[in-house]
This record gives sequence, C-alpha cells and structure tokens, in this order.
Amino acid sequence: MAASERSSSVISASRLYAPYVEADWGFKNTWYPALFSHELGENGVRGVTMAGHDIALRRSRGKVFALRDRCAHRGVKMSLRPMCLTADTLSCWYHGFTYGLDDGVLKTIVASPDDPLIGKVRIRTYPVMERAGIIFVFVGDEEFAPLPPLEADMPIRITDDANAVAHLLDENVYVRGIHRTGNSNWRLAVENGFDPGHLLIHWDNQIVAATDRKLGLGVEPIAEGAIKIIDEPDGPKGIMNMYNTRAYKFIMENKAVNMRARGKNSYYARTSMVLPGILLVEHWPAPGWAQYEWYVPTDDKHHEYWEILVGRCRNEEERREADYLYDNFFEPLALRDFNDNDLFAREAMQDFYERGDGWNQESLCAFDAATITWRKVAARFNRGIQEPPELHNSPQSQR
Amino acid sequence: MPTQITSTPPPAAAANVHRVTLRFEDGVEKEIEAGADEFVLDAALRQGVPLVYQCRSGSCSTCVGQMVSGTLAMVRDRALSLIASEIAEGKRLLCSSHALAPSVVRLHYPSTLIYADARGNFEARVAGVEWPALSVAKLAIALERRAGFSFHAGQYVRIKVPGTGQWRSYSMCSTPRDLPKMEFLVRIIPGGAMSEYLRAAREGERLQIEGPLGAFILHPGTGLHVFVAGGTGLAPILAMMDEIRHASGPKPKMLLSFGCASDKTFFYRDEIELRKWWIPQLSVRLSADRVEDPASGLIEGTPVDALGTEAISDPQAAAYVSGPPPMIEAARRRLAELGMSPERIYAERFVAS
Repeated sequence: MAASERSSSVISASRLYAPYVEADWGFKNTWYPALFSHELGENGVRGVTMAGHDIALRRSRGKVFALRDRCAHRGVKMSLRPMCLTADTLSCWYHGFTYGLDDGVLKTIVASPDDPLIGKVRIRTYPVMERAGIIFVFVGDEEFAPLPPLEADMPIRITDDANAVAHLLDENVYVRGIHRTGNSNWRLAVENGFDPGHLLIHWDNQIVAATDRKLGLGVEPIAEGAIKIIDEPDGPKGIMNMYNTRAYKFIMENKAVNMRARGKNSYYARTSMVLPGILLVEHWPAPGWAQYEWYVPTDDKHHEYWEILVGRCRNEEERREADYLYDNFFEPLALRDFNDNDLFAREAMQDFYERGDGWNQESLCAFDAATITWRKVAARFNRGIQEPPELHNSPQSQR
Repeated sequence: MPTQITSTPPPAAAANVHRVTLRFEDGVEKEIEAGADEFVLDAALRQGVPLVYQCRSGSCSTCVGQMVSGTLAMVRDRALSLIASEIAEGKRLLCSSHALAPSVVRLHYPSTLIYADARGNFEARVAGVEWPALSVAKLAIALERRAGFSFHAGQYVRIKVPGTGQWRSYSMCSTPRDLPKMEFLVRIIPGGAMSEYLRAAREGERLQIEGPLGAFILHPGTGLHVFVAGGTGLAPILAMMDEIRHASGPKPKMLLSFGCASDKTFFYRDEIELRKWWIPQLSVRLSADRVEDPASGLIEGTPVDALGTEAISDPQAAAYVSGPPPMIEAARRRLAELGMSPERIYAERFVAS
C-alpha cells in the first residue's frame, strides 16, 4: 500500500478503543463503592479487593478509613484477623505492626517499641467518602491530585424528563440494594448492562409477565441520535441509549422464528453508562424508580456486582411503603430473578474473552453500535488504566 | 507498597572522618567521607550515593558489603544478622558499621541498579520492521534482558548496525513502560548503513545498543506543552506524549505541530489521530513543505509556520522541538516571538546519517 493511501485511511474503531481492551484490571483513579455503610459497624474492620488493590476498611468514631491491606512487615492481610488497639490505629495481628489510620505511618511495633522502623515505614492510604449509605473509596495512584468530586463518578442528573428519576446524591432519597460476586471480567458486565440487543434474555422474566410490561425482544438503533455522548465538563462521561426517542426501534416480533414479545404497559426504561462503568436505568423496575449498577473490577476475572434502587422518599410513611415494595417486589423480581439472567450471560462470555482472543474474534451487529461507542468513550475519558498488581504492588524499589 | 520516609541524618563531625571507597560490581567506584559517629550507609545517603538497603537496624542483611581493605567496625548493641564466619571474611552491614580507617568496600550489585540513568551496553533482537512511508522505517527491538536498562521518554540510544562496525543514534518512539520492547523511527537514506540493513533485516537477529543517552526529557510543569516535530524527529515527541498520556493526574494542554517534506511522504497520520482521540487535551496541526493534493488537508509550510502567529499567553508553557537543526533554529525564533522564554524551549537535533 502506498504511503499516501495509508495517510488518508480511516482508523478502525478497534484501534480507537485499544486502551479499553488493555484495561483488564479496570480503570483507576476513580471512586468505586466498597461496602454498604451497614456492613461496617463502629470499630469494624473489613477487607475488600478493588481493581487488584487489597484495601482494609476500618470505622472509628463513626469515620471510615482505608489502608492498604498488606502489612509492610511480612505482607499478610490485616483484615484476616482484625486487631484494633487504639482508636486511631490498625494493628497487624501477626507481629503487632501498628499503623496510623489517617496516614498509614508505623506508630509502634507491639513487641519492639524502640524499633528504628517506627515512624519511617508506612503503608498507603486511600481517600474515602460515605454518601447515601454507601462507602466509596478512591482507587488508583496515591499521588493523584486533585481528587475528582464523587459527582463526577456518578450517573448524570436527569433533566429532560417531566417525571425525572431521583439522583443517588439527592436529598430525601430511598437507597437500597445488594452486591454479589460476578465471575467475569468487569467489561463484559458493563457491556451487558446497557446492551440494547440483550432484551431477548428478559422477554419471559417474571417481572415482565407479572407487570405486563412492554419490553420487546430487543432495540435497534435506526437513526442518528440513538446514542448520545455524555461529556459533562468536569463531570460524568459516557453514553446514553435514547430509548425515549424514535431513533431506537423496539423489535416486538420476529416472524422468522414466530416469536412475539408480550406486554401492554409501555414505559421506557432508558439506559446510560458512565465511567468507570456505572449503569443508570430510568423508570425501572417501576415508573419513578431508578436502578444503578456498578461492576467493580476485583481482578481481571471477577467483578463485584452492585445493584441499587433509588427512589424519592420524604417521610417515614413513604419509607415504609418503599420497604414493602423493595422486599416483596423489587429485590426478588428485579435485582434477583431479572438480573440473574444478566449474570448468567456475562459469565457465559468469560471463557471466550479470557482464553480466546475474544476482543478481536467477536462479530458485532447493528444493535452493538452502543457497545462500540461506549468503548471509544471509555478509551478517551478514563483517568488511567489499572496495571496488574505485580506492578503496582511490587516491593520497594531500593530492594 | 511500603515506602520509606526519608530523613536527613546529621552531618558528620570533622574529627575521626575517613575516606570510604564503594566499589560496585560494574567497576564504578564512589568515594565518601564517613566517621566514627555515623554509619557508613547514612554517610553514603547523605553524600548522594544511593545504596541498596532496607531495615537499617542490622536485621535484614540487604546492605551487606565486602571489606577489601581498611577497618569497618560493626556496633555491638544490635542483634546483627551476619554469622561469625561471614564477619571473619570481612562482610559488614553498612547500616550498622563505622569507619575507623580509610577503607574499600566491594558491593554485590552494579551501580546501574540504582543509577538507572547510567549508560550501559545491552543485547537486543530485531522484533520487526514496518514501513510507514517509503522513506521511513519503524524498527522494533526487544532487549534480551530487561534488568538494568531504563530510560526517560525523549532519550535515545546508539545502535550498532549488524554486520558493520558502525553505530547510529535513534530516539525511542516507545515509552519505558513498553520495555523490554523498544521502537525507533529511521529515516531511510540511500546507501546509509542502517537503511541498507533494514531492507533485509530479519526478525530475531541480534544487535547491540548503548544507552540511554541524551537530556531531551520532559520537565515538570502543568502549563501548555508545545511539541514541534519535523520528519522522524517525531519519535521522541511521540514517546513524550504517550508518557504524559499514561501519567497519573490531570493532563496539561498540548499542541503538536508535525510536518514532513511533502504530502506524498507524510507518515504516522493515523498514529497522531489516535492520540488526538485518546488525549482530549491534545490539539494537532499537520503540515508539509510541499502539498500537491489539497484534499490531504495538510497545511502547506513547515511545522514552525503551522504554529501561526497567535501569542502563547501561558507563562508556564514549555516547548519541545525535535527535528533538523534549521527547523530548531526557526522554532526557537518563532516561539520567542510568540512570547516564550528561551529557557523553556528544549530541543533535540536530528541529523541524517
């Protein structure tokens, strides 16, 4: 091929989103949910792994602190057998290396109080924010500054809907949900979350039948504007499937296989996905409610699947009503039965992408435009690709 | 990752101070002054000679050295991890030893272990040759052993052209994070030693490199980064842009002005388009001295012409200029006219050979 022809070639989408394909361990320098507030009581210690970072969380005098969950001495996880000897430290249960909660500096060694390491060695800490009953940790490079606000790593506020769903960070909201382990890479989970073509796995789900909801067999982009890019200045970046417009066509039947979607109640459930991989489904599982999902990378083969419902709630009576709906309708039918099908699909994709060269072997079709757009947007706006832990956990360089 | 908080030990008292020679595995010697009231390790660190160490309390043996001559006495009020026979052989823990006489200590690691910037010779193999344009080759090599070699984006190495006794210098267009793979852009010159070699180069062939060399590196700063590159002078600029792309934290605004001799020989357009997508802070001007096809979309002129005449108002701005010497001189003049101070203009000269 002549040089002049090369120079005017159109760049393939897969080259544009190459950094996304590199992000096996997730994106870094971003806020991820670590635990529900109620999972970490006063003086509690819990260990979590996010994007390969082992992190110990401790609540002391109401405030949550996050430290690297590896003692500098022999590398054991301190969360395996929590030991808290003072209100402002976390001790390692093995030899008593004791670290300050706020700075990670070695304050004492229980059995070596005059040790020269004291005050010199430290383990890294992580920024923590607790909002809406969820503990968020900023996972990534310790030196990253300035910290982005939590709002930048959240779904956008909906402003183009008269009956707009609530935002997680609003006042007077009801927030409840679950999280569980997904046995697939985080990207397969993200791409399942907003996939316009995957409604097929939901067409016979209990919630669809019970609420007579008109969901379709799938949704196909047929006009410009089907996929909107979210690019708020200093705010969320991602994509939105504009199901509330005529740019998407709902496929209700396929005569070739004599298949027809049921349901008469038509209420759009618009989906959007923002970095680092947060799904918002509007008006789901019921009009006026919003479902949020995170797919927090644990390692390159597992993610923590967070499913949260957000609704407006101004008083105790509304809270009791929401609890009734959550316990008897939303969690069993939406978060469990409906989303179990999604979890199944993501785990079914895993071996193709893990063992094979899935990212280069897949054959995407018309409704995958949203997937390609998401990959390109993620490649452009992420705050860094997480290195595998062999690199970021390597021992001190002087060794 | 456990990280040491560095503290500055007190300066040595003038009395009882002796010269200690530190002899590294690679033959490099460093001399320090150490007295009876300061540990040898502390004295070395204080005088800017980094050594390998860890616990600083005599427990881990990381800082062990072999006494060749002189007298290094270890303290007695610590439990030391050396056994008696090792001490008898002259092994000493530098974190717990005082110099009582002029001494020479041999260390078991090369100075390059810590002096990553020190140059050395390394074996590599050809990993591939691509032709982005008729007059430009991209040479990829892989180091045989990664250990001991590191560099800063923007630096170069000398490559011994296989089958000849000739050495040629090329800037890496890859970044340190791509090691042990390294990539170079080579301008093809009829009859040139490397040019002739690359036409017939085979994957897996061995070659020797020396480096890293050069001081054309990124300087800290959050102001506008102006990159001006001509021809294969693009190589170190690409490495710098990719280094910034992978760095943590907010990215500076960047402007790349890149030009080639003609639109027919213009290369790496898609590589630049990719970076425009990956780095939202980057804007790009592409030019060619001669533009025959207006549909190419290239600005006619040099990359210095393409900078335009709009003043650079950011007082924190820095410029990185890479290309043939006349282009560098023109860029210096133009950037000064646009308001940049000369000491914030860094340049790398490319001379065809």
